[in-house]
Amino acid sequence: MESRDGAPSPEQAAAAIADAEAGRNSLVNDLIVPRLFFDSIGAAVALQIATTAAGLAAAGSRSGWILVAGLVLFLAVSGYQLARFRSLNGVWLGGLVNRVVGGTATAASVSYVAALGGATWAAFTEVWWLVPLFAIAGGAGYALSGRAWMRRYRSEPASHSRPYSAASLTVVSVLALGGLVLLVTQR
Amino acid sequence: MGDLDPHIHSPVRLRLMTMLTAVSEVEFATLREGLQVSDSVLSKHVTALAGVGYVRSRKGVHRSRRTTWISLTSQGRRSLSDYVAELREIIADVT
Repeated sequence: MESRDGAPSPEQAAAAIADAEAGRNSLVNDLIVPRLFFDSIGAAVALQIATTAAGLAAAGSRSGWILVAGLVLFLAVSGYQLARFRSLNGVWLGGLVNRVVGGTATAASVSYVAALGGATWAAFTEVWWLVPLFAIAGGAGYALSGRAWMRRYRSEPASHSRPYSAASLTVVSVLALGGLVLLVTQR
Repeated sequence: MGDLDPHIHSPVRLRLMTMLTAVSEVEFATLREGLQVSDSVLSKHVTALAGVGYVRSRKGVHRSRRTTWISLTSQGRRSLSDYVAELREIIADVT
C-alpha cells in the first residue's frame, strides 16, 4: 500500500482523499429535510414578527403576552422541526440550528430585521394592513435563506456545518437586545 | 514534509474524521452505515481517536433507544486538516 519510506504514493494519497470526501458527500446527500421544514419555520417567523410588532405598539397589560405568544410559537415549531431532523437523520447540525433556525445567515438576518422594523413602524403608525405584509415578507425571506443555506451546505459541507462562534453570537444578541430596548424606550 | 499522523493513517479513520467535519454530532449507527464497518470495528476506531483527543463520544438517546453520539474535537479538526495538507503536498510534488 505504501512506498518504501512509509508515506503513501501520490496515487494512494489522491485515492485516500477522494474516498474520504466520497464518504462525507454520501452522508450529506442522504440527509432528509423533514417535510415543510423551511415553510413552517418561515410561517412561525412571520407570526413572531407580527406579534412582536403588535405587542410593542399595543398599550396595556396584554402587550407582553402578545410578544411572548409569538416567541413561544416560534420556539415550539423550530424545536419540533429540529427534533424531527435529528430523529430522521441521526445527526445534529450546528449550522442548521444556528444559521437557518436562529437566522444568523446574512439573508435571514437582513430580511428579519427589515421586516420587523417595517412591521413595527406600521403598527406604531396604525397602518395595520401593512403589518401582515411585512411579516409575511420576513417569513418568506427566512425560509428562502434556509433553503439557500442547505444548498450551500450540500456543496461545501465542511465550510457550512459549524455554527457561528459564541463571540459573534454574543455580539449579534447584544445588538438585537439593544435595538429592542431602544424601540421600547422610544415609545 | 513532516511525518503523517499515525492516528489518522488508516482509510477508515480518515473517512470517519472527514465525515465528522460535515456535522456537529453523529449517532453511532449512522456513522457505522456510512463507513460500512461492523460495530466492533467502529467502536475500536472511535476509542482510539478519543484516546488521542481527536473525537468525543457521549452516551445519549436516538429514537427512544440508548446510543452513542460522536463528534470531532477542535484538536481533531486541526490534525485532520494538517494530515490532508500533507497528502495534498505528496500529490503536488509530482504534478
